[in-house]
Amino acid sequence: MSEDDKIRAEALDWAVRAGDPAFEDWEGFTRWLDENPAHAAAYDRIAASVLDGTELIAAAPANDDGGEAPVPTGAAPRRSARPWIGGALAASLALVAGLWMWQAGSRDLYRIETAPGQVRTVVLDAQTRVDLAGGTAMAFDRKDPRFARLESGQALFTVRHDEARPFRVTVGKDTLVDVGTVFDVRSQSGDLSVAVSEGAVQFNPEAQDLRIAPGEILQRRGRSGDYTLGKIAPEQVGEWRGGRVTFQDTALGAVAADLARATGVDYRVAPGSAERQVSGSLLVAPLRKDPAALGPLLGVEVRAERPDGAEPRWVIGVR
Amino acid sequence: MPPSSPPSPSRSGLEAAFLENRDKLLHFLRARGAGDSAEDIVQEVWLKISRSSPGPVASPLSYLFRTADLLMIDRFRSARQSGTRERDWTDANADDAGASPEPSAERRLAAAQEAGRVLSLLESLGPRVSAIFRSHRIDGMAQKQIAAAFGISVSTVESDLRIAYRALAQWKERSDEA
Repeated sequence: MSEDDKIRAEALDWAVRAGDPAFEDWEGFTRWLDENPAHAAAYDRIAASVLDGTELIAAAPANDDGGEAPVPTGAAPRRSARPWIGGALAASLALVAGLWMWQAGSRDLYRIETAPGQVRTVVLDAQTRVDLAGGTAMAFDRKDPRFARLESGQALFTVRHDEARPFRVTVGKDTLVDVGTVFDVRSQSGDLSVAVSEGAVQFNPEAQDLRIAPGEILQRRGRSGDYTLGKIAPEQVGEWRGGRVTFQDTALGAVAADLARATGVDYRVAPGSAERQVSGSLLVAPLRKDPAALGPLLGVEVRAERPDGAEPRWVIGVR
Repeated sequence: MPPSSPPSPSRSGLEAAFLENRDKLLHFLRARGAGDSAEDIVQEVWLKISRSSPGPVASPLSYLFRTADLLMIDRFRSARQSGTRERDWTDANADDAGASPEPSAERRLAAAQEAGRVLSLLESLGPRVSAIFRSHRIDGMAQKQIAAAFGISVSTVESDLRIAYRALAQWKERSDEA
């Protein structure tokens, strides 16, 4: 085997190993690279070719005959099978998604994400749609339009009821099953809330098996916190679609996260203020233009921080 | 403990790992061929981890190295792409690197056809190789999970991936020469 062939074979080996999300031996990899500058070049050629090829076929619609793919406007996009390695920072998320797919066996999932401040509607059938709030990540199943998974963020489900094939939503380890329904689900840092405006939702049929009725909101603080069932005005469920958010005795930490998702403005909570509770109802659009306007609306202090040249952050604190 | 107050524990864990291992990352980047740009790329890694909140990261050190490695691969890809563009400068309207968000219809069609070629290339390697490649690269399954799902050993998964990677490297060499 010539020297070039040997380097190429080793580079191929490292590309396969370092490409695994579970790869840990970066020191060994560094040692190999140190041996000869040609090693890095050979590795780059392979790793870049694999990424090029992956992105090409991931962007191509499945079951396509090679012609130009029509892109349905407003409907669920199909160009979703994003190569996990496309963004370095997607790696850890994709690892979780990969594990899930393996467990689900036959599921054929695709992900849809919205940027903060962006709202998007996914149509699953003529009478079933999901509205994603800003800063939300979800997975749907190409083969099963009666399934959705909320990874983080908030979404309003408007679901056609089908006794034989109930619509299921999973959020972490929790499962929601519709009973003819309009309902809103929010999941943030382990906090969960499910609010119902029409029909009903069966929460964790295999465990708690709790029925959530219209005008009720189920809430849980943290992944293993206690559940509380409270009241919510049905018109308030999913009101974020109309550009309004309402807080009722809500911790400032959650307020900042909600507003950041709804507006795309970088709201944060000041140290020590996260647990302070506030109430108020406000329109989202004016805050995009004037983030500081939040202060008088909720009776809090809003301060702009400009870390050297970057976008300003808006820090919300107790007055 | 406020669950939603930034900075999250995972994030500061990542930043701490960065500060502790900055020299190792620099060394890695120099060995990776970054040369004088190694400092800049380390800075880029820092910006990436401090601007986004990647969620809980199981192995912060690995995450940092992977981010650095992918930045290097991206540099290589854009250098290779601009080299190719200079050689066949047929498109008078060719834009500056990445300036056009909407590729033209011809380019989209060309990409679709190229994708078709890559797909049939992968299929020609056998159904298992192509299925394993897809599970790993597109669905993001780890090699160990794939081994379990297919009922084969991890080294068989690795060897199938080597076959696919070699074919893709050759495909790229051919299309660069063409």
